[in-house]
Amino acid sequence: MPMRRILGGLLDRGVAPLLLIPSVVLLVFILVGPFFYMVWTSFTDLSFALPDRTGSFLGLDNYRRLMRDDPIFWGSFRLTLKFVIAVVSIEFVLGFALALLLFHFIEHRRLVLTALMVPMMLAPVAVGLIWKLLLQGDFGMVSYYLREVGLLDLRSALLSNAGAVMPTVVAIDVWQWTPFVTLVMLAGLMSLPREPTEAAIMDGASALQRFRDVTLPLLRPIIALVLLLRGIDAFKEFDKVFILTGGGPGTATELLSIYTYRVNFKSWDLGYGSTCAFMVYLVVLILCAVFYKAVYWSEGRPTGARAGAP
Amino acid sequence: MSRAWTAFAVAVILAGVLIALTPYVWILMTSFKTRLDALADTPVWLFTPTFEHYPDVFLEKNYLPLVWNSVLVATLSTALSLALGVPAAYVFARHEFPAKEDLFFFFLTTRMAPPISVVVPMFLLFTTFRITDTPLAVILAHSTFNLSLVVWMMRGFFAEIPREIDEAAMMDGHSRAGMFVRILVPLAAPGLAATAVLCFILSWNEFLYAFVLVAFEGRTLTVGIPGLITPHGTLWGQVAAVAVVATLPIILFSLLVQRHLVRGLTFGAVKG
Repeated sequence: MPMRRILGGLLDRGVAPLLLIPSVVLLVFILVGPFFYMVWTSFTDLSFALPDRTGSFLGLDNYRRLMRDDPIFWGSFRLTLKFVIAVVSIEFVLGFALALLLFHFIEHRRLVLTALMVPMMLAPVAVGLIWKLLLQGDFGMVSYYLREVGLLDLRSALLSNAGAVMPTVVAIDVWQWTPFVTLVMLAGLMSLPREPTEAAIMDGASALQRFRDVTLPLLRPIIALVLLLRGIDAFKEFDKVFILTGGGPGTATELLSIYTYRVNFKSWDLGYGSTCAFMVYLVVLILCAVFYKAVYWSEGRPTGARAGAP
Repeated sequence: MSRAWTAFAVAVILAGVLIALTPYVWILMTSFKTRLDALADTPVWLFTPTFEHYPDVFLEKNYLPLVWNSVLVATLSTALSLALGVPAAYVFARHEFPAKEDLFFFFLTTRMAPPISVVVPMFLLFTTFRITDTPLAVILAHSTFNLSLVVWMMRGFFAEIPREIDEAAMMDGHSRAGMFVRILVPLAAPGLAATAVLCFILSWNEFLYAFVLVAFEGRTLTVGIPGLITPHGTLWGQVAAVAVVATLPIILFSLLVQRHLVRGLTFGAVKG
């Protein structure tokens, strides 16, 4: 087998890192290449809607437009930040509380965890679809019960009401991703050593003190991990909102990714659209670096390398 | 006190489970409801099932090829990511070389890259290469996140295998390649299987890349979903049937990897 001989040759001659080349080449082709292409396009006037704009170099015009003349972008940016802060904090509090209850009071949790996993395994598009059905104004099941308990007035549909739509979208994201926080925090709680807690009990610490002074500090790395992962994911949110509202009514739920989609694939303004796309990329890259520093590097050592090791 | 707390905990957890499951049960039920039951003013919980929506949407509206496209894209994207990623993960787990952790960070950034940013230039690039509207475009796009998932997860699984096993295998006369293929990969098989299933799930569930890169022939199931919702006269029974086919296999699959799920979704940082 020639594959085997090549593989063996590489490994035996101590040039094993060459095995990384295929992955890196693929990623350069599908990711790094497009990335630099996007950066280049962001300095041009490329548009598929106007035939005279074929991609001539504009210098910093697009960036000037972004900074000075595009209040919609910055409105969308603020909306996205609010969305991220809302979903991450609600999901964290609910998810952690649920994990604590499960950890302390339930012995056979396997079935519960299986049930909780369902929302997060669903394709986000399907989640959008399911909730669109549940929230239909005239026959939606959830709308009906909300009306029954007096939380919704007769005619209003949550998804077409500019004031209610954002909290609704937040609630749907919370529905889907709170279980993720629960699973991760539960795994964290189960991995904690018992000795510190036992020592604290011996010292007569109350349950609250034990939680604040022992459990929380020990869990700090996992808390950082879960907040950052959810934060990055929420910042990129597209699928659910696209199906549920398409960014509307008006621009009430137009998150950055939806706005960027609109500029590129509705207005076909690819030059300026690339500028917006680049901004989104920058924010995620920064969050990603923070994630890596916070979670995988401690005391100047990559803990990621040991993350799998016993 | 303690018993009251336990009762409280059980009540809260049961409520949580109920809230998590009811919406899904509802879509499942809707896929078997007649139009009249589905659109009733008062929610209908008990009804005589109809089985017409599944053949209607998959055969008559011709949604069956979309299922096939989803299977094809998810399978090949998983295969590609494993073929390239597993050897790479092994190198990260067992070898030292310059800028190793920087390269590892690079893989992380590819995993986290916002699809909306990548898909714009990718669309332009793939149009130039004339591969938009083919499954190949989506397979390549999905490898952006799956390849690094493989590298990150499998590095951890390989690192768990004691180095002494490598040495023992070499003593037995295995070449390094033979040792990797015959000893290490089989030892990491449970992790490999979990990684493969996770890749399949992530690709199957993905929407934005597929939505932008394919319009007609190569559409996957998730891409077919928005088209079913119209401002007036959405056929919710059919919509529900598509949603069920798009999600039920994945829920069953996820049961297989339940043990490794947390690890996979946290890039190996937390062991479930």
